[in-house]
Amino acid sequence: MEFTLNEEQEMLKTMARDFLANECPKTLVRELMEDEVGHSPELWKKMAEVGWLGLVFPEEYGGAGMSFRDLTILCEEMGRAMLPGPFLSTLFLVGLPILSAGTEEQKKEYLPKIANGEMVCTLAALEEDGDLWAQGIQLKAVQRGDDYIIDGTKLFVPDAKAADYILVAARTQRTADPEEGITLFLIDTTEWGIYATLLKTMDETRKQYEVVFNKVAVPARNIIGELNKGWPVIKDVALKTTAALCAEMVGGGEWVLETTINYAKDRIAFGVPIGSFQIIKHKCADMYSALEYARSLMEWAAEAIKEDSPDAPTAVSMAKSYCGDAYRIVTDHGVQIHGGIGFTWDHDMHLYFKRARSSDTAFGDSNYHRELIARQLD
Amino acid sequence: MVSNESAKADALRQEVRNWLRENLPKGWGTPEYVLPEPYSKESHERGKEWTKKLYDAGYTGFGYPKEYGGIERPPEEIAIIRQEMARTGTPGGPLSLGLLVAAPTILSHGEEWQKKRFIPKVLNGEESWCEGFSEPDAGSDLANVQTTAVRDGDEWVINGQKCWTSMWEFADWGLLVARTEPDAPRHRNLSYFLFDTTTPGFSRRPLRQMSGEAEFGEMFFDDMRVPHKNMMSEQGRGWYVAMTALQHERSGGGAFFGGAGGADLAGLSDRRSAAIESAVDLAKNTRRYGKVVWEDDVFRQRIAQFAIEAQAMRWSGARITAKLRKGIPFGNEASVVKNFQAEMRERRGDMAMEILGAYSQLVRGSRRAVDEGDWVYDMLRSRGSTIEMGTSEINRNIIAERILGLPR
Repeated sequence: MEFTLNEEQEMLKTMARDFLANECPKTLVRELMEDEVGHSPELWKKMAEVGWLGLVFPEEYGGAGMSFRDLTILCEEMGRAMLPGPFLSTLFLVGLPILSAGTEEQKKEYLPKIANGEMVCTLAALEEDGDLWAQGIQLKAVQRGDDYIIDGTKLFVPDAKAADYILVAARTQRTADPEEGITLFLIDTTEWGIYATLLKTMDETRKQYEVVFNKVAVPARNIIGELNKGWPVIKDVALKTTAALCAEMVGGGEWVLETTINYAKDRIAFGVPIGSFQIIKHKCADMYSALEYARSLMEWAAEAIKEDSPDAPTAVSMAKSYCGDAYRIVTDHGVQIHGGIGFTWDHDMHLYFKRARSSDTAFGDSNYHRELIARQLD
Repeated sequence: MVSNESAKADALRQEVRNWLRENLPKGWGTPEYVLPEPYSKESHERGKEWTKKLYDAGYTGFGYPKEYGGIERPPEEIAIIRQEMARTGTPGGPLSLGLLVAAPTILSHGEEWQKKRFIPKVLNGEESWCEGFSEPDAGSDLANVQTTAVRDGDEWVINGQKCWTSMWEFADWGLLVARTEPDAPRHRNLSYFLFDTTTPGFSRRPLRQMSGEAEFGEMFFDDMRVPHKNMMSEQGRGWYVAMTALQHERSGGGAFFGGAGGADLAGLSDRRSAAIESAVDLAKNTRRYGKVVWEDDVFRQRIAQFAIEAQAMRWSGARITAKLRKGIPFGNEASVVKNFQAEMRERRGDMAMEILGAYSQLVRGSRRAVDEGDWVYDMLRSRGSTIEMGTSEINRNIIAERILGLPR
């Protein structure tokens, strides 16, 4: 386990921070919040140019061949900058499963396009019950000749209006074990019969949609992974995306802490900086401590995935549970210490406050992951 | 991670396991092993013997140069040794204060003769230590020390009182902060001494705490004479030496966590994992209103949280170790580690009381007490853990002011 960054990683981090400071200022974040699609093709093109969209793909597929840990360094900076748009959706929800479960032909066709920015993607997994579990996947895909006909509704689909392709988790077989009979289809969003409607979310930096598939025909060659064996692929997607979310949460939390510390030093009340009051100091100390331990678990999780360790699911659940709690507490204190200004729409604190909530909910909240850990102690 | 360990590491692990099997006290880890009365003479002597055994086997004495009796091994080996010891919950012994505070402080501030004279005997268990910092009017405000030291020829004459002294009763040597320049400004008026507890004019008595026992004591100095050469660092620099000592103590997590010491917390956290296991066992073995506690989601969540926090501590320890190896100093971060551990211990104690219900009232020595009353004891004792070595509040001030740069 490496717990300090090597020279290359330090460079990646510095470069990412500078890039996002220039290319993703809060003015752009707020512009995209107002937008129904929430995606900047100009920014996307620049992200492709610096190699981020294919960072972990092997070079033969147009990638940079870097490690999962390197990727989470980027995610930290993205969380810090409150980057909107389909990065997680494209790379984690679709790029990584194609890389791990796709055929050679699929990898050659899609991965270079993802890496060079031509192909924005997302995953449609959740349905009406809102939980990511095998029972929740009920949308049907029925074989007709060489095609499958997809019919039904998906909810909480991120970035659906920006996406050129949607990876859809559908039920192709009904068996006693709900984890059997799920298949992943990669669908071109220009196909006839796909309707995406915005769900107005609290965290407007992450767009989510209801997507209706009205008898959409998909050729069987667009199946990613094996027929009826899609669930393990989704679990792997969830594992890696959850680690990415943890990295984002730590990065975002550190922005909140730094911003709050600066405010506590500058803001004068009763004739002195409010940061000289112990009650403020102690809240800041708690924010720092929460983020330190969140980072330790997050880095463990990232390393465990990178090393393909059997500990990875434990590490990820522990990290997600802890980071979810930590980010919520840190943003609670951030708003509170800012006082009135922290409660305004104009101040950026609420963006982080809301992101903390949406990130906690995504891929299982703190309570859910704690229960997974409890089961290991059974 | 076990899966990645080389054959060499496995061999060492096996060696340590075999050694422990042969050398641990008879019946260790089973009910037939009877712990000596805590803080008793016997407990103290057994601790010394155990440290000597470990030292002779090359399993302790890490982090010090050979010329001061240190045992030099690669960090990976040290981690394995500590993990194996933590796994069996080996006896810590009353010498941990010497390892935790005296040796590292002497190493960083002592003169050459002091290092050569004192450190080896800490490492091999020959001499035990106590520290005289707190006073009745100098707790969180430690700089308000009133004990005085007045120069008389080649000696200093010490007068005053110390309290909350760990290892007070049998320690062979003591660390002492006393006021040497009555008129100098705060933080520049103290000096730091090493004193022999057999010196005339020194006396001690127990200080009984809310958990019932006298883990701590009070020390009295009545014209106690200490040779000038036993002053550590320069005259008037005692405050800064004391601050180093406190950081060592906090980063080690305190004497009550036993033996791991230093910033390498890997072993320590494994030991906490044993604490998690015991909480799970308690929940599995206890019924409330006819229902097994472990089946109650509220308690499952809380116990799982302890498991998560134990791992968080473990990997934070690994991060600190990695930074130390790169030469990045570890100082004020000790306050983060100390608070986290102490507050976790309090919450764990509280939770145990909720699980135990009516049985939470039965203390050590009572009929029908669960686990010999240890849960109740630990809940009470944990109240001290957020006070000793800097209260949680003082540590939060340190984090806010010295790490985050908030104004004093």
